Amino acid sequence: MTMVEFFSFLPYGKYAFYVWFAYGISALTIITLFINAKRNHSNTLLSLSNKYLRNK
Amino acid sequence: MWKWIQRQASPKVFYQTCNRLIPWFFWPFICLLTVGLYWSLVISPADYQQGDGYRIIFIHVPSAILSMMIYAIMAVAGGIGLIWQIKMAEVVAKVSAPIGAAFTIIALSSGAIWGKPMWGAWWVWDARLTSELILLFLYLAYMSLNSAFDNPRTAAKSSSILAIVGLINLPIIHYSVKWWNTLHQGYSVGTGGIKDTDMQIALALMFLASILLYALLVSIKARTEVLIREQNSSWVQEEVRSLIS
Repeated sequence: MTMVEFFSFLPYGKYAFYVWFAYGISALTIITLFINAKRNHSNTLLSLSNKYLRNK
Repeated sequence: MWKWIQRQASPKVFYQTCNRLIPWFFWPFICLLTVGLYWSLVISPADYQQGDGYRIIFIHVPSAILSMMIYAIMAVAGGIGLIWQIKMAEVVAKVSAPIGAAFTIIALSSGAIWGKPMWGAWWVWDARLTSELILLFLYLAYMSLNSAFDNPRTAAKSSSILAIVGLINLPIIHYSVKWWNTLHQGYSVGTGGIKDTDMQIALALMFLASILLYALLVSIKARTEVLIREQNSSWVQEEVRSLIS
């Protein structure tokens, strides 16, 4: 059984694997970008705060 | 006008503006994305030739346009930083690069996935695909060059020159389907593009959502970059203390 056949129960039948695969990769990329940007901001705030405390 | 621009370009004002804009980008993005996905996956009818497989267009085309648009913004911002020495333009150029690279990856991967059922191959060395791949390499080269220097001003100067030189690739990507006999289909937007109103609305909604996503990510990343660059300023120290406590 191929991946295309396996995922054909989803909406869009024989194209389901391709459509959901493309949307899934895009969602994953965007979520990773977003989480990474937010985490970088928090880490920067924390490291700067530690630096200022050390210099006090 | 020039005074207003100068004021906006000051790190403190720029940081505050980014902070204020984030919710204004985030909520419209969520709304447009939800409606856009519903329109793309539910309301839009199946294509008469490609069936439901064509629905990849709603992520492929906006991300491909954004990949080029962000590169143009990055090069223009880099040029402004070079000519007028505006530090915040350098910040915009620097933080735009990974976002543009991500949109290019989405365009390339969704195109490859779309190509398999339609062309019978994940990848062909077609002019459009190859020039888009070169765009990804340009983004990667820009990011590598930018991180190769300790001094952010030197890094910005050298990487901006690379970004400006790389601008030549944008018309090549755009006109590749006209200049060469490619396997890639012609323009999806405008003359010869999609005709169905629901498909056009879905595409417009997803495109607007992508623009808002870019603006949102730039705002989040730019304020982090400003904090790093201006860490010795008293206003950053006050800001960090107020946010941590």
